[in-house]
Amino acid sequence: MEETLGKKKAVRKSKKPARQRISWSLIKSQKQLIWMSVPLTLYIILFAYVPVWGWTMAFQNYKPARSFSQQDWVGFKHFKFLFTDDDFLRVLRNTIGMSLINLVLGFVTAIVLALLLNEIKKIVWKRTVQTISYLPHFLSWVIVTGIVATSLASDGIVNDVLMKLHLIKEPILWLSEGKYFWGVVGASHVWKEVGWNTIIYLAAMASIDPALYEAAEIDGASRYKKMLYVTLPGIKATIVILLIMSIGHILDAGFEVQYLLGNGLVVDWAETVDIFVLKYGIAQGNYSLATAGGIFKTVVSVTMLLLANQTAKRLGEERLL
Amino acid sequence: MGGKSGALLRLSLLMVLAFSVVLSGCGGSKNAGSSTDGSKGSTEQAETGSNDNKDGKDGKVEPFNVSVFIGEAGQQPTPDNKIYKKIKDELGASFNFEFLAGDINQKLGVMIAGSDYPDLMTGNTKLTAAGAFIPLEDLIEKYAPNLKKHYADYWNMMKDPSDGHIYVLPNYGVYNGKLNSTWYSGPAFWIQKDVLEEAGYPKVKTLDEYFDLIEKYKEKHSTIDGSPTIGFEILNYDWRNWGLFNAPQHLIGHPNDGGVVVKDGVAEIFADKDYAKQYYKKLNEMNDKGLIDKETFVQNYDQYLAKLSSGTVLGMFDQHWNFQNAENSLITQKKDNRTYVGLPLVYDSSTKDYYRDRSPLNLNNGFGISVNAKDPVKIIKLLDSLITEDWQKTLTWGVEGEDYIVNEKGRFMKTQEQRDKFTDGTWKLANKADALFSYLPKIEGSFSDGNATDAAAQPEEYQAGLKEYDKKFLQAYGYNSYVDFFSEPPENPVYYPAWTIDLIEGSEAKIVNTKLNDLSTKFLPKAILAKPADFDSVWGDYTSQIGKVNVKAYEDRINEQIKWRIDHWSK
Amino acid sequence: MTMDNRKLSPQRSAGVAMKPSSGMGRLEPALFHTFNSVFMIVLVIVTLYPFLNTIVVSFNAGNDTIRGGIYLWPRQWTLQNYKAVFASGTIYNAFWISVARTVLSTVLNIFLTTMLSYTLSRKEYIFRKPITVIFVLTMYFSAGLIPGYFLIKDLHLLNSFWVYIFPSMISAFNMIVIRTYIGTIPESLVESAKIDGAGDFKIFMRIIFPLCTPVLATIALFVAVGAWNSWFDAFLYTSSKQDLSTLQYELMKLLSSSMNSNNNPNVAAGVGMTQDSAISLVTPLSIRAAVTVVAAVPILVVYPFMQKYFVVGLNVGSVKE
Repeated sequence: MEETLGKKKAVRKSKKPARQRISWSLIKSQKQLIWMSVPLTLYIILFAYVPVWGWTMAFQNYKPARSFSQQDWVGFKHFKFLFTDDDFLRVLRNTIGMSLINLVLGFVTAIVLALLLNEIKKIVWKRTVQTISYLPHFLSWVIVTGIVATSLASDGIVNDVLMKLHLIKEPILWLSEGKYFWGVVGASHVWKEVGWNTIIYLAAMASIDPALYEAAEIDGASRYKKMLYVTLPGIKATIVILLIMSIGHILDAGFEVQYLLGNGLVVDWAETVDIFVLKYGIAQGNYSLATAGGIFKTVVSVTMLLLANQTAKRLGEERLL
Repeated sequence: MGGKSGALLRLSLLMVLAFSVVLSGCGGSKNAGSSTDGSKGSTEQAETGSNDNKDGKDGKVEPFNVSVFIGEAGQQPTPDNKIYKKIKDELGASFNFEFLAGDINQKLGVMIAGSDYPDLMTGNTKLTAAGAFIPLEDLIEKYAPNLKKHYADYWNMMKDPSDGHIYVLPNYGVYNGKLNSTWYSGPAFWIQKDVLEEAGYPKVKTLDEYFDLIEKYKEKHSTIDGSPTIGFEILNYDWRNWGLFNAPQHLIGHPNDGGVVVKDGVAEIFADKDYAKQYYKKLNEMNDKGLIDKETFVQNYDQYLAKLSSGTVLGMFDQHWNFQNAENSLITQKKDNRTYVGLPLVYDSSTKDYYRDRSPLNLNNGFGISVNAKDPVKIIKLLDSLITEDWQKTLTWGVEGEDYIVNEKGRFMKTQEQRDKFTDGTWKLANKADALFSYLPKIEGSFSDGNATDAAAQPEEYQAGLKEYDKKFLQAYGYNSYVDFFSEPPENPVYYPAWTIDLIEGSEAKIVNTKLNDLSTKFLPKAILAKPADFDSVWGDYTSQIGKVNVKAYEDRINEQIKWRIDHWSK
Repeated sequence: MTMDNRKLSPQRSAGVAMKPSSGMGRLEPALFHTFNSVFMIVLVIVTLYPFLNTIVVSFNAGNDTIRGGIYLWPRQWTLQNYKAVFASGTIYNAFWISVARTVLSTVLNIFLTTMLSYTLSRKEYIFRKPITVIFVLTMYFSAGLIPGYFLIKDLHLLNSFWVYIFPSMISAFNMIVIRTYIGTIPESLVESAKIDGAGDFKIFMRIIFPLCTPVLATIALFVAVGAWNSWFDAFLYTSSKQDLSTLQYELMKLLSSSMNSNNNPNVAAGVGMTQDSAISLVTPLSIRAAVTVVAAVPILVVYPFMQKYFVVGLNVGSVKE
């Protein structure tokens, strides 16, 4: 395979060096790296970037039955609709609120669980816990929210337990109050995904050099100290990178959970940008609005991503870009 | 963009193929199997496509394949399904079904964008607007005498309001002969049979009487089978919102027109009207008395069904099919007295109830032939054959002797075993052609020999299936069936029903409709749960929010269409 | 590949490296251990319950499930729900299609993504930054449904098995995770290989790829689960070809149709229904449970198999010497 790769001449022949640093000899010496990555880059450009011509839809009244030249151009009409709607700020607040809660809860619980799992000595028990904890990931949100709703009902297990512990005097209707809603959504996410989210950290922990633990032990470090000074730094790069990537997803609070758990009484706290765009976009056959919503989210995402990356750089942490 | 991306593609595909050959021994071979399957399928299609010779008149049927898109979920029939086999043997047609699972708007978007249509598609205003269907008038005139006769009285109603062509053949709403009605699945205020029984089988006409009965019963029985009694349930979950929204129009004696009430041919929304306020104020009072389930607005559909099937819920406003499963469960538990009767309540006993209607023509439903169909003539002829009485009997009752029996009087009946089979989904996949039949033009009412077109509507069948408890119950009222609780529906107004009016995708009217629904979802629960003293202020907020929405755009669109219908549909 | 790995990294199980720390007193570790065990038991109960409940519901008569109150044991045992799932017979073929796409996707993804990650981990690589940016951005935008469809159509991938494979051969997220992991592998390894005259492709194949086992096990799991669970491509691109349908899409159709049969106002079900026939009815609730079990069980067996690679970490320290 190496041979075949070597035989073909570099694809960039026609291209003049863009910067001075990129010299011919450098390209030649890196031709294997180029062969290993440039075709894949062309591939991703084809599948992810080429279809972006479709963003023109956001500036049209797109009708799928018409060809490109027959579409009506409407400028920023759909963006205007989005930003001037009375509900928009509210759904934006909800989206960011729930997203942040999910982000923080998701990270903290997964890392803590991964650390604790790592401390289990019996291998069989460790594997069992791991396997079981990620089971809920395979259930659909319909099923999970169904169980959540039943548990939170006035005669559900949550109220039962709280009553038995005398923490509350009468059952609370958790899903009838806006102030609980974000918490319920956050907790549901943790329940469903915490096990799954630990997988990546456990894999990162596997790469920590055992010699470091040994050295720490010789120094008489306690279990906590080892966790704090060996394990955690060992997976810090992974944590930082995942965090940067997640911050870019700040507007992806989703819609399914909110849709399934929401109701008229909490709608002011439950509706997200995604739900809003679905309701006035796809559900109305308005693909243009859906596209405009997508563009808005992309702009915010990329901005947040760059900010996060920049911050990490300034703090001297691992960077994404 | 074809050429440029093509080059890019070849480059990266080459690369990938090279790797996949090297890497994926097992995956590759599996995959080769399935791709040959795929190509076999397409040659098959090509064959049937080229197969448009003259129709084989000399008794021999020429086989042909029809690809069908069903815009709803469904299941593939088994390959040896006996009805499809019969159709293939006698009419030559076999079907390739594509069912929808997922969002119809997304699927139609890409189908339309790519003009990727199969031969037959179920109706949808998006498809019609995109020009995906061919006009059918001439085809029917020339090749389909049976269909022409079938739709004769409905011809003008089937025409598309925007260009006057017929694109879709409505699947329901064409009646023939006597309409046997033994079953009501529409909207009503439902009440547990035991409540009526205990009150001595009263005739309940008004909303006040209804809640009085519930209140008294609940006072007397604070629990049912150990669980607390629930007076009244209101379901408003996702798209199942009529439990909260729709009652007011019926209470003033109007039929179900969706979000509007039509008076003298003019439609207006009723959400903010005084007669709506009257209903929600009543609910507010009932809530204050503890008759309404505390959790009613936070429950999901499953929780709602769970409560109903526990037998503790005394009443609700709903459509029967929506809680059918709960009732089946009550029957299984032998709690026949906990099942429900529908009552057509009004505010004022002088108002005539109008819940039950004559089923209107099911516009924008049923099959249309797509512009991609290679041989529309063949397809329309097939549909024409299937509307004949013999085929209709096969499609609804099944095969004589196997699926039903004919008694000495020529009446169609079923044995208990045959009835049971018809409730078994697994059996149906092999022995019924429901996927097709649901969307085919069909005869409703009765056949020329007097038998009902639907086994469930055959009076003998209904009586045979009636349980002792219900027999006694109906006897007490002197009724034959539960339908008799409702007034005989008058002739439908010409435009009826307004809810089938297409609001047009992305139009102001459609957006307003969404906004109105949102406001009702948000404010009505608040109003009902408010302290009685606060009701008026919440209601005030609600109506002032409605005032900010462009209701006129919504009403205008409906009125324009009502006028169009009156102009074009009047005989 | 795993052979190489063994050579470089002697087995290490999490427990072995930890000797009880001597100086800090006996109480603390014991307390920690108790706390950890209790926590894990609670976790197991909480995360096992929803799945267990789903299994129980799938074996309970649909008509009875509707009443609610099914927790850990069926009230009315039945196989009816599974019979309904297997009734139309289309899911057998769909199962094999799903297996084929999952295996193929996983193999391709692992190889291509790791190769790309390696090149982007090389600090000297001239296109490192632009290519990284190109890939990372793909996580934050989508061109939209219709342009994506046009691309697939233009590439003649409609109604083809390959539409399950080609559009998703590389994931930017996985690329970043692997790149981060490669970053923890000592540079000295690559350098010494270079001195020995090895090219980048050879270094990747011989050194990096085998050393990535733990993270590749993770990524394989992500890709496999993603490929197994996806249905949207079948819905959009192959829905008119029954013999290309995937297990998830078939199950989804089944589920929607079970909900649909009750939603059709024109179906006057239940008329003349006796107690016996009512008992045998399936409901959306019970079908959903059976569908979930059928969909999840085949993929669940993958994880325990992957787990051994998490524990067999690489002992980088020993390589350095």
